[in-house]
Amino acid sequence: MRNGGRARLLLVILIVTSLFLITLDLRGVKVIDGFRQGTQTILSPFQRAGAVVLNPLGDFFSDVTHLGRTRKQIEKLEAENANLKIRLLNRKNADGQLEQLKDILDLAGTAGYKVVNAKVISHGSSQSFSQTLTIDSGSNAGIRKNMTVLSQYGIAGVVKDVYPNSALIQLASDPSFKIGARIAGSQQIGILSGQGNRSATLQLLDNSTTVNIGDVLLARGSSSNRPFVPGVPLGYVSRVDNSAGAIAQSAVVRYYTNFSILGVVAVVVGGPSSNPGDALVPKKPQVTPIPTVTVTVTPTPSPAD
Amino acid sequence: MFTRQLSFSTPIFLSIFLVQEALISQFRLPGGGFSILLIFALTWSVLSQPEVAAVIGFASGLLMDLSQSASGPFGQWTLIMLLAGYAISYIGYGDDNVHANAIGIVFFVVVATFFVEIAFLISGALLGVSVGSIAQVSLTLIGMSLWTLLVAPIMLPVFTKLHALVFDSRSVI
Repeated sequence: MRNGGRARLLLVILIVTSLFLITLDLRGVKVIDGFRQGTQTILSPFQRAGAVVLNPLGDFFSDVTHLGRTRKQIEKLEAENANLKIRLLNRKNADGQLEQLKDILDLAGTAGYKVVNAKVISHGSSQSFSQTLTIDSGSNAGIRKNMTVLSQYGIAGVVKDVYPNSALIQLASDPSFKIGARIAGSQQIGILSGQGNRSATLQLLDNSTTVNIGDVLLARGSSSNRPFVPGVPLGYVSRVDNSAGAIAQSAVVRYYTNFSILGVVAVVVGGPSSNPGDALVPKKPQVTPIPTVTVTVTPTPSPAD
Repeated sequence: MFTRQLSFSTPIFLSIFLVQEALISQFRLPGGGFSILLIFALTWSVLSQPEVAAVIGFASGLLMDLSQSASGPFGQWTLIMLLAGYAISYIGYGDDNVHANAIGIVFFVVVATFFVEIAFLISGALLGVSVGSIAQVSLTLIGMSLWTLLVAPIMLPVFTKLHALVFDSRSVI
């Protein structure tokens, strides 16, 4: 009986403590943020080391996930010996990051963004249904909270928290991510919300306008360029919801960025001097004509003829 | 006795938290992956008395709240894990079909993982946390349960040995 009473008392104390912590956090008490910041400061060197050691293995899992799409590449790798495979895997990792970095710099250069490049050192766990990643640059590199993060194709996310040598990025796929968007060309505006995957929902603000499949979305930008700089490519409309009873027209948007393969990102630390407008709209792929050769066989006249 | 348990279990919890944050989080596994800390805490909770399981849940929840990927307010995981730890220990306590049976423990851990995630979703919704589309949430729930089903049997011998070491238990699976 006495033991049961003590157990109940312990349970009540622990529940009250949990509720107390939730209340403190919801009221914005700084101490709670300090706990998380301190933890991340301690964890970032370990995450950095983990990223170095496990990057090739991470690529392996990524390849397994996208097996159908990388079959040709895997077949090619299978043809080589084990030593070359390991070398190629490491080289592939570096090349992939270099390629991403080059494209990011092209994107940032076209718009006149001042960027800080960073490597991804950790992906957030999905246990909390959030979509985050950690990069290896922080406040020491000039990164601040609420700055736009770019991938090689466009938006990657926004800086959620900053530590001296690392930063936490909320990906654009995170369910709580929202960004003001405009449709390239028509200038219609709306709000784009993450859905937990590569798709997002667009809610147009004006119901009298129309949106079409294939329309390209760009970031509208925020005042003082934070959290979002203008002109960043977001994605394209993949489905339009034309339900008659809807207050505002909505659409499903597919992000340009593939969030599961991000290895390098760029944080925009300085916005453009002027709005880049539609300058960053991705070019449509050009169809390369395949030359065809027509062979006409003419029968040789036989000697009998 | 209590000091011994505390001094043994603290580094174990911290090590598992470090493994989760520094190593396992490097992989973007399909279906949301798994949380080794969650599996560890639930396994220990199944093996412990209800009040001890509540403390285990509280400590692991606190660490999960410290994780950068925790989307809810600080304390949400603490509360959920505390209640989950107590509940699964209370349900299975005194039942040898659970304690002395590896399949029983794995079954309990997988089911508990599923319900813990659902509890997180519901409490998150009440606290105003966005969780995404139903399809994505369902995929993550099923994915995490399947990953737990895969990982829990592999880690079970290690976790039960650690439990026996800390709590001086005679039952090691």
